[in-house]
Amino acid sequence: MADPRLLDQAFHRLMRSIVESGRALHYAELAREMGSGVEEGRQLLLAVMQAYPIGWLHPDTDYIASFPPLNNLPTQYRVSVRGEQKWFAQCGFEATSVTWLFPGATVRVEAPCLDCGERMVVEMRDGKFVTVDPPGIVGHLNWGFGPSRGRPPFL
Amino acid sequence: MNLFRSEEHARRWTQFNPQSEEGFINLPDLAGFFGTETRHHMLDANYLSAWFPKRAAERRAYLEQIGKATPFWLGTPSPS
Repeated sequence: MADPRLLDQAFHRLMRSIVESGRALHYAELAREMGSGVEEGRQLLLAVMQAYPIGWLHPDTDYIASFPPLNNLPTQYRVSVRGEQKWFAQCGFEATSVTWLFPGATVRVEAPCLDCGERMVVEMRDGKFVTVDPPGIVGHLNWGFGPSRGRPPFL
Repeated sequence: MNLFRSEEHARRWTQFNPQSEEGFINLPDLAGFFGTETRHHMLDANYLSAWFPKRAAERRAYLEQIGKATPFWLGTPSPS
C-alpha cells in the first residue's frame, strides 16, 4: 500500500493538471513531477485510481479515462470556463460538481439531449445556477448506483 | 447519469430503462447531491485522505434528506 501522503500528492497533481489544462498527467509525467522513476509513477497512478474508484482507466491501458468530476476522454458534456472550452464532465451528474473546481468563475456546461439532440446549457458559479436552458432540464439515473447492477456507470 | 431536456425526453431515449422511473432528479437536488461539503475540497492537497472517505456517508445523508434513500439510489442490493 502506497504512503497516504504520496497518494494525496499524486491525486492533487492529477486533479490540478486536468483543471489547469483539460487533461490529466500521464503516469510518466506524474513520475517526473513526483521526482520518481517512471514505473514508480505508474504504480502510484494505479494506487490513486484504486483509492479513487469513481474514476477509471481506459480498459487494458494505464491511461486515465475518467477523473471525476472531469473526464480525460471526451463526453457530450462540454465544459467552458472564461470562454474557453477545454474540459469535459464525466457525466451529467458530475457536470453539476465542476463548479467547485473553478471558484469564482462561471462554469458553462453544454450538452446535446440524448433524445432529440437539441442543446442544453447549465451555467453555475460557486454552486449556484446562473443559467438553465431549457428550464425543465432534469437528471436521470438509468440503472441505479452500485457495482452489482453490472451496467455502465455513466448511464 | 445524464441530463435531459425534460422527463419526457428521457423516456423517449432509446436506451431508457423502463425500471428507472425513480431515477429522475430535479436540477437543484442534483446540484445539492453533487455539491455536498466534500466536493468543496476537491482541490485541497489532502482531499484523497481527508475528504473523499467522508463522501459516502454524506451522499447517504443527502439522499435521505431529499427522500431518495432507496437501494436504487444508495447502490445497495434490492430486497429480493
